[in-house]
Amino acid sequence: MPDARFQVEMVNGVPVVAAPEEIDISNAGELRTALLESAAHGPGSFVVDLTRTQFCDTSGLHALVGARKRARAKGGDLLLVTAGAAIPRIFAITGLDQVFSSFTSLEEALAQIPAAASGGTTS
Amino acid sequence: MRSSCSPAGPAAREITYLGAVVRMFVTQVFHLGGIEVTAQVDLVSTEARLRAIQSITDAALSRLDDRELLVELLDRTREILRTDTAAVLLLDFSSGQLIATAAAGLEEEVRQGVRIPMGRGFAGRIAAQHQPVILDHVDHTTVLNPILWAKGIKSMMGVPMVAGGRVTGVMHVGSLLPRKFTGQDVELLQLAADRAAAAVQSMAAKADRVAVEALQRSLVPSALPAVAGAEMAARYVPGSGVVGGDWYDVFTLPAGELCVVMGDVAGSGLPGAVIMGRMRSALRSYALETPDPADVLARLDRKMQHFEPDALATVLYAVFEPALDQMHVCLAGHFPPVIALPGQPAQLAPIANGLMIGVSPAAPRQVTTVPIPPGALLCFYTDGLVERPGRLLDDGLERLRRVVVAQSPETACAEVMSAMVGDEPVRDDIALLMMRCRPDRADTTAVLVPPASEEVYADA
Repeated sequence: MPDARFQVEMVNGVPVVAAPEEIDISNAGELRTALLESAAHGPGSFVVDLTRTQFCDTSGLHALVGARKRARAKGGDLLLVTAGAAIPRIFAITGLDQVFSSFTSLEEALAQIPAAASGGTTS
Repeated sequence: MRSSCSPAGPAAREITYLGAVVRMFVTQVFHLGGIEVTAQVDLVSTEARLRAIQSITDAALSRLDDRELLVELLDRTREILRTDTAAVLLLDFSSGQLIATAAAGLEEEVRQGVRIPMGRGFAGRIAAQHQPVILDHVDHTTVLNPILWAKGIKSMMGVPMVAGGRVTGVMHVGSLLPRKFTGQDVELLQLAADRAAAAVQSMAAKADRVAVEALQRSLVPSALPAVAGAEMAARYVPGSGVVGGDWYDVFTLPAGELCVVMGDVAGSGLPGAVIMGRMRSALRSYALETPDPADVLARLDRKMQHFEPDALATVLYAVFEPALDQMHVCLAGHFPPVIALPGQPAQLAPIANGLMIGVSPAAPRQVTTVPIPPGALLCFYTDGLVERPGRLLDDGLERLRRVVVAQSPETACAEVMSAMVGDEPVRDDIALLMMRCRPDRADTTAVLVPPASEEVYADA
């Protein structure tokens, strides 16, 4: 069963949301809530860790795109961490690979965020 | 066997709980002395009033589709609480306003379409704060809606209607004579409001399902257009659970082009279906204005981002030349079609992809022109056909490629659905459209010439 709830962990002062193995219509709403909360969390950027994610349908993409818009409207960004082929494949087909900044490790993603790079406090 | 005084279910528990409230009230009255009889009468009438509210529920449950249900509920509430007016305002989530939906003794509130912004005035405050509000003084400083004070209401009491953990509306009662509403009155009104909230939610869910199904039926063409030289067949299967946002469309343009649209709107239920309907008709309008598929999708994207900024969709738009010998395709985040030539293995048509609709302003859009040899079969589909949790997307695409064969579109649809779906329940919607062009001139020696470069279709 996919996780029912999504935890937002603070890493070096940056919210990091771990996405579940499968994102579809049954849990995309909850993911969206977690993402929008992260986007609302201060003016900064945040990271969605899709490392475990093997399946993401249109409702999952909707949650990611909505949160990215929210973050960018506040001067931040939504950065992705991906692993394996499944997510990069769906991002290539949907063209989202052209708009999302995607990294292969959390460290790499965090290095792009000034607050994290300057060593913010872990809370 | 239960003993005669033991609670029998949730309703009885509520009675017991409120009985305790009343007993506290009785104790206080005793301290005042001399009015024991009144206290005793109140205790009896409270339980009778609770039973009366309970009876509304039973009636409500058997008549969920009755539009008069709320009015009846309000009439009974007014009777039980001995007030002059009772009204329900429901929260419209899109506008964030409370809309007067049903009333007893205050019918003009509904007839005049009263709307109260969340957080403002009497009802707006109740909804925003999730709290009951009692007003001993009704005028323009406490109540936004002039109907209430113009009517001469002196005291008001309102409670939030909550369903599924969120406020869905407000129920309020009013008295033409000054009156001190008590905690016990609030409890009774809250009980009635809870019943109303549950009934409204259930009615709304039912109405949504009916509306979505009707909308879906109106959006998917009942009959595919008859075009000389083109044979078509289609399938639409809603996913298990809620109806999703897949659609397809086939139409011709005045100059004789044949156009095919496949789309998948993120979101489900009524909101998804409404967006789908808007996209479908907007795309048709733009198709009449420009022959360039990239231009059509760019305009559609601009329109959606302006008017429906939260919408996200994938769209394929293909324009076939009147001779049906080539198609100009633009993809907005959608899967490319599968093309099968007579006697040859099928392949995914080599088409440049583009960004989904609703992501970024001024996303570059490319058109790929694909030659269509006589007898070729094209298979257009949505992601539900090839995507399954626990399976690789490329495996799904490969399975589809293997099963698509240049043959009659009807047979091809049946074979693809059988191979890709079989008897497994599918979570996502599936839309499938097969088209075979000029089958009478089928040539088994034709080859699909890949486009030399991803050309941009120009008017010239």
